[in-house]
Amino acid sequence: MTHPAGPASSTVQLTIDEQAITVPAGTTVFDAARMHGIEIPVLCHQQNETPAGVCRLCVVDVGGRAYQAACVRPVEPGMVVRTRTQEVEAARKTLLELMMSDHPAPCIRQQNTGDCELESLAQRYGAQEIRYPRRDVIRGRDDSSLTILVDHAACILCDRCVRACADLRNNFVIARQGKGYDAGIAFDMGDPMGGSTCVSCGECMVSCPTGALTNKVVVGQKLEWGTSCETEELLSLPVFHGVSGTFLELNRGSVMMRRIKKGEVLFREGEYGSTAFYILEGKIDVFIASPRAHVNTEKGARGFLNVLKNKLVGRQESPRPEENLLRTHISIDAPVELSYDYPVAQLSPGDLFGEMTCMNFYPRSATARAATDCVVLEMLRNVLDVLQKNKNFRARLENDYRLRALETHLRTVPIFASLTSEFINDLRHRVELVRYAPGEVIFRQGDVADGFYLVRIGFVKVSESYPGGELVLSYLSKGNYFGEIGLLGAGKRTATCSALDHVEVVRIAAEDFQKILQQFPDTRAQLEAISAERLRENQARFQRVSTVPVEEFLRQGLMEAQNLLVLDLDRCTRCDQCVTACADSHGGVTRLIRDGLRLDRYLIATSCRHCRDPLCMVGCPVGAIRRQNSLEVIIEDWCIGCGLCANNCPYGNINLQEFRVDGPANEELVLLGEGQEHAKKRARVVRKATSCNLCNDYPEPSCVYACPHDAAHRVSATDFFNQMVKK
Amino acid sequence: MRIDHTHRPSAFWTTVLFLVAALAYVPYALFSRRAPSGSSALGLAYGIAGYGLMIFAALLSLRKKYRIWRIGRAQTWMRGHLWLGLLSYPLIFFHAGFSAGHGLARLLMVILSVVVVSGIIGAALQHYMPRLMTERVPMETIYNQIDRVQKQLLSEADQLLASLSPEKSEYGLIVPASGPTETMTTTSTLVRLAAATSLKLRETYDQTIRPYLAHRGSHRQTMADRHTSKAMFAQLRTVTPESVRPLIDDLENICEEKRDLDRQSRLHRVLHGWLLVHIPLAYLLLALAAVHAIMALRYS
Repeated sequence: MTHPAGPASSTVQLTIDEQAITVPAGTTVFDAARMHGIEIPVLCHQQNETPAGVCRLCVVDVGGRAYQAACVRPVEPGMVVRTRTQEVEAARKTLLELMMSDHPAPCIRQQNTGDCELESLAQRYGAQEIRYPRRDVIRGRDDSSLTILVDHAACILCDRCVRACADLRNNFVIARQGKGYDAGIAFDMGDPMGGSTCVSCGECMVSCPTGALTNKVVVGQKLEWGTSCETEELLSLPVFHGVSGTFLELNRGSVMMRRIKKGEVLFREGEYGSTAFYILEGKIDVFIASPRAHVNTEKGARGFLNVLKNKLVGRQESPRPEENLLRTHISIDAPVELSYDYPVAQLSPGDLFGEMTCMNFYPRSATARAATDCVVLEMLRNVLDVLQKNKNFRARLENDYRLRALETHLRTVPIFASLTSEFINDLRHRVELVRYAPGEVIFRQGDVADGFYLVRIGFVKVSESYPGGELVLSYLSKGNYFGEIGLLGAGKRTATCSALDHVEVVRIAAEDFQKILQQFPDTRAQLEAISAERLRENQARFQRVSTVPVEEFLRQGLMEAQNLLVLDLDRCTRCDQCVTACADSHGGVTRLIRDGLRLDRYLIATSCRHCRDPLCMVGCPVGAIRRQNSLEVIIEDWCIGCGLCANNCPYGNINLQEFRVDGPANEELVLLGEGQEHAKKRARVVRKATSCNLCNDYPEPSCVYACPHDAAHRVSATDFFNQMVKK
Repeated sequence: MRIDHTHRPSAFWTTVLFLVAALAYVPYALFSRRAPSGSSALGLAYGIAGYGLMIFAALLSLRKKYRIWRIGRAQTWMRGHLWLGLLSYPLIFFHAGFSAGHGLARLLMVILSVVVVSGIIGAALQHYMPRLMTERVPMETIYNQIDRVQKQLLSEADQLLASLSPEKSEYGLIVPASGPTETMTTTSTLVRLAAATSLKLRETYDQTIRPYLAHRGSHRQTMADRHTSKAMFAQLRTVTPESVRPLIDDLENICEEKRDLDRQSRLHRVLHGWLLVHIPLAYLLLALAAVHAIMALRYS
């Protein structure tokens, strides 16, 4: 690289390694040597970047008091440069040894491709035997980005990434931070790379000479269908405007163009996947094929006559008392909501769907079938992540959302059903779409309440602090909202909300929220009622849990349980009446196993514990598993039977049951169009997740009710612990 | 059901009822012109009350069959069964005027006595045995699963010895590592055994250990006794190299688990075995008592 040190026409004559050469004035010694085939080793310098002279490996003897870094030293007339004297090579070897003493050899790059520049040079100079002590403190890795892995331990602080990000891409995300042993590269204000403003262009990764910044291969995934797209082809699509070509080149094969014929199914609900889709041409129907019906407990005359046939029951047939606010829509992993009564919607060009499956590996929430001949782009999560960070794409997506989906999204929230279209139009351009990385806190308990949030993508964890621990109140999925209590009350947050995975929320500022309250008294009344109810529950719960010696509970592993089925083994005659009663109540399939953790003379039977941190609720693609107001876990009737909750339950307390249903499949209704009465009725088997519902149709669970020996008890974990302590 | 302080009210009211019945019986026995008998008005009343209580006690089995009917908690029914069933016994004696009677009446008294005694034994067993079972069977499993678990144990043991074969690796034996390794995965190593050692191990397994594991409740087997088993495994350890110890330990643990299963089976049979006497005789009693009532009312 040349520098504007003098007029381009003037030249300088010098000697490098006994070779007389002439170069333009202002040329660096490094460039002069390179132009004449003389190689000088270097790590911190690349041809397309401004030299920084930090690694000092390119030192040469120019006859002065000290060796000079060739990459930054301009040539001078008559200069005599020696690049390979014994002393110079010894200095380089010492430098390499020093760098290698602080480098995890072999680093990731060396392991993967064997081309770590530092380790290659160290090998060449025989500097693999390290005479210097290694650092004690591990610098660690940053795994937060979906596309780039940052291994700080392998970083040699050459600044190539810093210059690539700032000079070549003008992104200005990476910089140095800290001094001495604490020095390192940082993203924005020391954020994790995944949470920074990094757009994953990949330039830093290409520039890095070691394994400090490496491409994260999406392991075990390969797109098999469709046509692989060339980088130029992708860049010519409006959706990819502004996306780094380097990145696309590095991730060739992560985007496929698929042409789908009318009627072809793209994916089915409950299937596991790892890709998102972007519609370029055509229309796609998305719908839920599972019947909306819940699993009922046998009761009344049927129970009396012991007709042991459990069945699926619709809302109208058997309304559940806790479902006062009937949801009219089912949220799915697409920019549309499905109506409960006719769960079918259509997506059109420009729509992106399957984001939650792609980013968080959740099962597909609905079935997608081409309504017309379509062209879609199928992409892996690294590409989707880059797209979502791309300003152009984000702007378009947000605009589409505001214009097409915001109103429906707001209306799916029962309390907002009365908002007028004019008001929503007014609100349309003021709401903010905010993304959060996994683990990121949206707000903390005690913070000033400054907004109201609607979940658009992902899961939000709502937790509350109490002496000695944290209680997870809920996991909120798409269609749920939070932040209203603080806005209605004293202006402080009463719980902490954080992103469990990749979350996107719609934020309504406090001022706009206040306008809603002023203009729509119905909404205000409903919100106040809900808020008061939640606060009452919080206070009751606080009193309940604050008396528990948490450490003891943790030691017993029961901290998470809210409601345990405890069998007193000194009383239990092992007659299995509890198990058979449970089976009788639930269509012949028991939801408890008389086996499990044994504590002293008590057996904690395998049955839903209604955990404080209900992991089963995480990831439900249609948000069908939730807490009731009493904090017990309930499975809604639009469960699609994907089984994720059963897999997530650490105690094996959720099962999938098969039910035989008669009637036309939704899929058929979609083909025939809404309201078709001639759809063929067919018997088919569907799966629904079931777990202990505490026989909520009865005052007491059947297992406890049927125990003749007073051995089975459903108790709160607190009571159980207190009893254990008293003993 | 454990008879504890929660039974005090039931015991109290049963005693009160008994005393009332006894107080009524005393003047009846002392001052009636004829000796007390079932055919007198009071005797008949005792008989009806006693039979009624027996019928109520028998309804428990029906209550247990229809578990989810909301007709009172099962434990309330059980308490009623215990105390009212017990009360029926003196009432029947009052009915009979403490006479054993003849023919069917005598037979009924005998059956009733057996039913009541077996019930008392059953109540005692249900009071003490669950605790005993909790203490003595630490590895308790679901009773219906015992056969399955036993087969699993046998299969595990067979698996451990599977590599001990002359055809395979010259008397080699693949031994699991004694503990978790650094990476928390267990590894196995091939240990070559001398032919004699291998033969001894195989012989002991085939002739002693395997038959014990293969049969449920084989309490006559040598291995059923903990001390004999311990001695046998100690002896096996002396003839096998150090590296085979983990395998011997595993085998011993499997046998220990099998002993637990057998013990559970035995205790379970004791805990529920009395019902084989109690229930059929109770039904027979009800049927014969009905015959007795009809005959007595019809022909007396």
